[in-house]
Amino acid sequence: MIRAAIITLCISFAFAVPGCARHGDDRVLRLALQTEPTTLDPALSVDFSSGEIASLIHSNLVSFDPDARIVPDLARSWEILDGGRQYVFHLGPARFSNGRRVTAADVVYSMRRLLDPRAVSPRWWLLASLAGASAYHEGGSWNPAAASAANDSTVVVRLSRPVPHFLGLLAMPAAGIVCREEVERLGARYARSPCGSGPWKLSAWNEGDEILLAPNPGWAGRRTGLAGLSFRIIPEEMTQIAEFEVGNLDVLEVPRSELEHWRAAGTPLLWKEELRVVYIGFNTTKPPFNDPRVRQALNMAVDVDKIIAQVLFGAAKRSRGVVPPGLRQSPEPAERYRYDPDRSRALLAEAGYASGFSMEIWQRENPEALRVLESVQGYLADVGVKAKLVTREWGAFKEAIDRGTPDAFFIDWLADYPDPENFLMPLFHSSNVGGGGNRTRYRNARVDSLLDAAAACMDTARRWELYRSAEEIVYEDAPWLFLWFPQKYEVLSPRITGYRIPLIFNGQRFLDVGV
Amino acid sequence: MLTFILKRLLLLVPILLGVATITFVLMYIVPGDPVRAIAGERYDEETLARMRTELGLDRPLVVRYVDFLGRLARFDLGRSFVTRRPVAEAIRERFPRTLILALSAMGIAVLGGVVIGALSAWGRRPALSRALMTFSLVGVSMPVFWLGLLLIYLFAIKLHVLPPSGYGGGSIKNLILPALTLSFASMATIARVTRSGFLDALGEDYVRTARAKGLGERMILGKHVLRNALIPVITIAGADFGSYLSGSVLTESVFGWPGLGRFIVQAILKRDFPVIQGAVLFMAVLFVLVNLAVDVSYGAIDPRIRSEGGG
Repeated sequence: MIRAAIITLCISFAFAVPGCARHGDDRVLRLALQTEPTTLDPALSVDFSSGEIASLIHSNLVSFDPDARIVPDLARSWEILDGGRQYVFHLGPARFSNGRRVTAADVVYSMRRLLDPRAVSPRWWLLASLAGASAYHEGGSWNPAAASAANDSTVVVRLSRPVPHFLGLLAMPAAGIVCREEVERLGARYARSPCGSGPWKLSAWNEGDEILLAPNPGWAGRRTGLAGLSFRIIPEEMTQIAEFEVGNLDVLEVPRSELEHWRAAGTPLLWKEELRVVYIGFNTTKPPFNDPRVRQALNMAVDVDKIIAQVLFGAAKRSRGVVPPGLRQSPEPAERYRYDPDRSRALLAEAGYASGFSMEIWQRENPEALRVLESVQGYLADVGVKAKLVTREWGAFKEAIDRGTPDAFFIDWLADYPDPENFLMPLFHSSNVGGGGNRTRYRNARVDSLLDAAAACMDTARRWELYRSAEEIVYEDAPWLFLWFPQKYEVLSPRITGYRIPLIFNGQRFLDVGV
Repeated sequence: MLTFILKRLLLLVPILLGVATITFVLMYIVPGDPVRAIAGERYDEETLARMRTELGLDRPLVVRYVDFLGRLARFDLGRSFVTRRPVAEAIRERFPRTLILALSAMGIAVLGGVVIGALSAWGRRPALSRALMTFSLVGVSMPVFWLGLLLIYLFAIKLHVLPPSGYGGGSIKNLILPALTLSFASMATIARVTRSGFLDALGEDYVRTARAKGLGERMILGKHVLRNALIPVITIAGADFGSYLSGSVLTESVFGWPGLGRFIVQAILKRDFPVIQGAVLFMAVLFVLVNLAVDVSYGAIDPRIRSEGGG
């Protein structure tokens, strides 16, 4: 009996034939995703995984290149007329993956669909500036002038007001052009069987395991040298590293805690400054954080450079201001918050808190965040501020911030499109308090008017001046404890060429990558 | 026996009703808005309101509850808030993978545990006995996560004999490490229980009689002692199997195994109510059935239970 059991065990283990690397077509680029996409319908894609894959399958009028520059996609060329209120796009030849030619009518259909109240798209605001868009979204009738097909290959878009970053909005995943008859045929199932005119098409989706893309024969752009893309869903960072080390992945994002190991091994590391800012936001309506002096004092109480060096292993750049270096066209605001605990205490005393006070800092569940905040807690204790750390999981965390419950919260903001407007407007304009992005409930009439003026200004230089002024005021007012702009590090397998980390997450379409 | 089984199956209805109600109420109480989870980073109140209407979340709680029960009666588990796919479809796709993992882990745990426990109870080699018991102590104490990463490091990175993670289209190679990881804690407990069961049984009179009759040691252990030692093993195996079926989230996360456990946890984090409710009900049914199978198997193994009127 026992002998039989042992023999059975041995036989089963004999099935573990050596040679574990996944063999398949060698010209397939192998990548990993931490979370599975929830949908491949552009109008509904909200999270990064969904947006990234949807962008590979669908084309937009214009798209981002890896340096986040706007480049032609479906539209070969365009004109901006009437002070930015009218756009005329000339489409190049392209086909959906079902073989049908893409026409201007498809573009109009897709835009209208995004705004359609019945689609309930959380990203309808991308096209909110189209003429009559808000009325249509409320249930009114569609204004045909908003987007129309002058002929099969010309789309005319009319805006209710000039939007300088409109092309950036059009390059976002949600503005992808969908195939009308497939959407109408499949309804909700389109999310699983998308039909786009992008460089790739969905070849297989193995639930929870892997998504395979193959080149789209209808793609009119540069031909790729790859035979396909494979996105494996691997939630654990350590497991991703293991897969890379045995040669099953071609691109690996290196977690910050592993940086030292990779640097020491001498492996070439790619890095890029993300279009992301990490900060601790104060609830500016809750005492004592309604007093700018308190907020400024807390900024001076923390040695951010030290935290970056020790907790982040140097993988970030301290932020003076709000707009990441990758986007700046003007110098950062001058340094205001050098680490100075004495000055901090003095300023707190001036504000009436000579004996300090207690506060809570909220965070979402994240081990790195905990280490950062424990350091912050230590620094704040030095100036008499007792900070209690509160951890909540993501959904409860977001809801609490929306309601204005936490005194302060550790969070980040990631760009949707590469424009300073995408940082300053949602984060600091008073109309965006709450879910719109202004989590600190910051209200400043001067900043509002500067941002409003910049939003209507088509002259790039003048816009930048306005944004710079607004950013100066925000930096001085300190609704945040300014932390850093993180950097992203990746390693590549030696067999691939031509890969660059994209500045914006949907800017890499793998057309230049070879194996 | 048959009435026993039927009675237990009928009990399923009130059990499921209770589970459904509790889950429903819990979803309502727990903070976190499913609509905010779906809406992403930038949203306006109006879009949130519209989403709530679309998902039926703006109706009074009682109406939602009655609607929920009504759909259940038709075996309709609803659609996921996040992906809009039917919940039943998602469970149908993922459960078989959790099942394979659970069955393999259980198989390894029972076989390994019984063998280790029996060997260590044999008494001929005390050193072996101590070594095996230490091994089983380590197995029980080791966190699943850590064990998984350790096995990946050893077998995938250092020895290159097994793939680190993934489903691999159902290949056995991909199944080995996750099943082994999952089985360890159970295997350790089963080993200890088997060992004490054997030691107890070996002291019993009928064993002395069997030896006196001239039966070989192997025959004694295999035929007589084993059956008596198996009852507690089956209890543990049944309980553990039930929890494996619910999806072993940690193992599935470490190995990227696309099973039900991880799926449910992600649904919980996103407050995807229909998925959570559907999956919890499904697991409740499984649990009841597994417990029933365990109770029935007692009768099969131990005639005393059978003759006591079917349990």
